[in-house]
Amino acid sequence: MTDFEITEKAKALLGGMALEVANPSLRRVFITVAPGDLAAAVTALRDHLGFHYLATISGVDDKDDFELLYHFANKHACLNVRTRIPKAAPRIASITPIIPGAILYEREIQDMFGIIVENIPDARSLILPDDWPAENFPLRKDWKFERPEEKIPGGKS
Amino acid sequence: MKVTIPIGPQHPALKEPISLRMTVDGEVIQDADIRLGYNHRGIEKLAEEKTWVQNIYLTERICGICSHSHATCYVQGVEKLMEIEAPRRGQYIRYLVSELERVHSHLLWLGIAGHEAGFDSFFMYTWRDREIVMDLLEIVSGNRVHYAINTLGGVRRDVDETQRAKILGSLDALRKRTEYYLMIGANEPSFVGRLSRVGYLSKEDAVALCAVGPTARASGVAQDVRKDDPYGIYGEVPFEVCTADTCDVLGRTVVRVKELLQSYNIIEFLMKNLPEGPIAVKAPRKAKPNEVVSRYEAPRGENMHYIKSNGTDKPERLKVRAPTLANYAATVKMLKNGFIADIPLIFAAIDPCICCAERTVEVIDARSGEERTFLFSELRRMACKRFEKFSQKRNAAWPF
Repeated sequence: MTDFEITEKAKALLGGMALEVANPSLRRVFITVAPGDLAAAVTALRDHLGFHYLATISGVDDKDDFELLYHFANKHACLNVRTRIPKAAPRIASITPIIPGAILYEREIQDMFGIIVENIPDARSLILPDDWPAENFPLRKDWKFERPEEKIPGGKS
Repeated sequence: MKVTIPIGPQHPALKEPISLRMTVDGEVIQDADIRLGYNHRGIEKLAEEKTWVQNIYLTERICGICSHSHATCYVQGVEKLMEIEAPRRGQYIRYLVSELERVHSHLLWLGIAGHEAGFDSFFMYTWRDREIVMDLLEIVSGNRVHYAINTLGGVRRDVDETQRAKILGSLDALRKRTEYYLMIGANEPSFVGRLSRVGYLSKEDAVALCAVGPTARASGVAQDVRKDDPYGIYGEVPFEVCTADTCDVLGRTVVRVKELLQSYNIIEFLMKNLPEGPIAVKAPRKAKPNEVVSRYEAPRGENMHYIKSNGTDKPERLKVRAPTLANYAATVKMLKNGFIADIPLIFAAIDPCICCAERTVEVIDARSGEERTFLFSELRRMACKRFEKFSQKRNAAWPF
């Protein structure tokens, strides 16, 4: 399947769900969908175009929004499903029921961006420590790391 | 009674800190849980504060064994953002180091597999032969671990005639040794008996759980980025994707040994067809606002970097997905219904180099949900009491 065939098929398959379909370079296809349509779009792409393999989910902090990219791949191309959610209400539906391998990546974006993944089967923290302070999401642009002052017990203060 | 055994995060025999919790019933694993983050260094956050060039050396330090994989994945993505292309000679040298790295990583893994299977002479043989590749890497790049050969727009060191002759001359010895390992892997009965039917992962599960690399290929999924999405010079290099259909640790061993032989062919091709010309072009300091998805077949599986630029000399976002993370979901599946004694072998088989089950310090009662520390003698008494009720093996659940 060539890139052109994939983009045409994806357009026909998703219809109005695909807000934008782009093919910026060889074997790279970007499809933008509304957050509400994500699960339906992923299901359609998996069942009809064979995108079973989710490589990862990338989150990008983009001013007032979060941009989420779901990177899929198969033998023919790397397909990236893009969706934007507002930072004020960062909620997205889980795709783990459709792609079981997505669980670790969804837990990762929950930890790093504070995005609430709805209906996730396992919402525990994956990367951050258990005593991490609440409402601290390291990959948000407004989060800055400040090294805590070193205190040596019994040493000079 | 079900008990939960904690393994890690700190253990003298664990090479990397990771916490595993195995819920076991007797010797059979019922459930496995993985907790990450003990080695999280915030590299993605740090990358946003470093320049494009500084990040080459940062990404190289993500991993100590496949250091070149991350650096190359990053560099080939940034070159697309900067709209430059490395000269062909530079690309040949870059992917020569990639294949040498794959050889050293697979030989290292073979040794670990031999060690976990209790076949230590195999471990010593493979690690002795790995030194041949380490020497080659050293003469090509000057370093044994972090080769630092990549730069934006090409590579930093050229390969001269003596180095080329040395690389081609070493391949014969490596080929001979690897064929011997393939012979052992297929014929040595105790080794085959230990690896066969351990850590079963069906093809359907490998696809559903998004497994990558030799783990997926040993379950019959012919997935290799070098073939599916040829980057760099892989479009013009002849090689085959190695698969196995046994879906177990033996299959993963055979796939890696076959990949070694393919890598020798690739190295030979690259060295015999090395084009003349410059090795690098000058790269601009900044990159226009754009985004790129860079994929690379590391020794452990697909490596993916998502890089977004914003017009400055620093990236807006660098997302790194290393292959081991992709294989964790599949590992949990492999561990289920296996035996405690197989944990190191199954875990080593995805090549995260984590092994050796800790099983003595404390045991947690999972049935009541209570965490309490048992005395070892008490545990033994409970075990004896439990097995009094059963005639021998009456209740043993054979995992396969």
